[in-house]
Amino acid sequence: MSPVEAAATVAPDGEVAAATDVCERKIVAFLCRECAYSAADAAGNARTPLPTTIRTILVPCTGRVSPLHVLTALAEGADGVYLAGCLEGQCHYRVGNLHALDRVAFVKALLDAVGVEPARVAMFTMSAADSPRFVRTARSMHETIARLPRLRRS
Amino acid sequence: MPLSARGRRIADELVEAGPGVRPGVMGCEVVQHEELCVGCGRCVAACPTGALSQDDWFDPAQLYAAPPGTGRGALAAALHRIARHAPRGPIPVPERCLTFRGIIFDAARCAGCGACIRACPTGAVAAGPVPIAGIDHGAWAAAEAGSRL
Repeated sequence: MSPVEAAATVAPDGEVAAATDVCERKIVAFLCRECAYSAADAAGNARTPLPTTIRTILVPCTGRVSPLHVLTALAEGADGVYLAGCLEGQCHYRVGNLHALDRVAFVKALLDAVGVEPARVAMFTMSAADSPRFVRTARSMHETIARLPRLRRS
Repeated sequence: MPLSARGRRIADELVEAGPGVRPGVMGCEVVQHEELCVGCGRCVAACPTGALSQDDWFDPAQLYAAPPGTGRGALAAALHRIARHAPRGPIPVPERCLTFRGIIFDAARCAGCGACIRACPTGAVAAGPVPIAGIDHGAWAAAEAGSRL
């Protein structure tokens, strides 16, 4: 078996992450309109390179994201999901990001209970002006997902 | 206001039972359907005797019993697609995750007033017949069928 064939054989199982396979992964990012989306917008205006795996979804507040949104994204093809909202205590809707933090903790526990890596789901907080932090969190999430095997679905 | 015949029988039962609160003495026995419960906690707020309380743990197995077409059913379907094995035991629920708390029912403190049945938005709390002598439960259930008390 040639090396190319070997790579093609192992990749669909998700056990070995080939370089091309990592690029095909999808990470869904729910960004809060007030902070994280502004930070992402600033990063885009500055033409900062971002991982190609990130797919952003604009939400009014991270408190809008329910466990159903996160699990549906995972079930429909995402390998990772993360929420990015305002800094704690600075939510424009008072406590939306705190609700989101607890919901993410709950989804992590739920995934752990059924044998899925909790690291596939994460929550970050950042200020609207902190575009370097948005880029750092996007890259760190990309690296976390690249280290994990593809998510298997039935 | 004079008591109806049924009310008089229930009142007699109360006198025989003596002081204190007993399950079902006020007219209905509470039946729970956990698969329909969304953990909103309205029944807990409505309960006058403190028979209902919210748990800090959630059993993921409860999700799988939820009927399809509901939000819980959709959540269970999504979880089922990515699950590697059946859920392992209850999981702790964080403080602000209000809708995923199990409801604990303490039958010994229930007065059977039906406040939780009126408060429940999903029909997860329903009324069952009360074991009271001289009352035809079949006829009572037929009369109450379809009503939410």
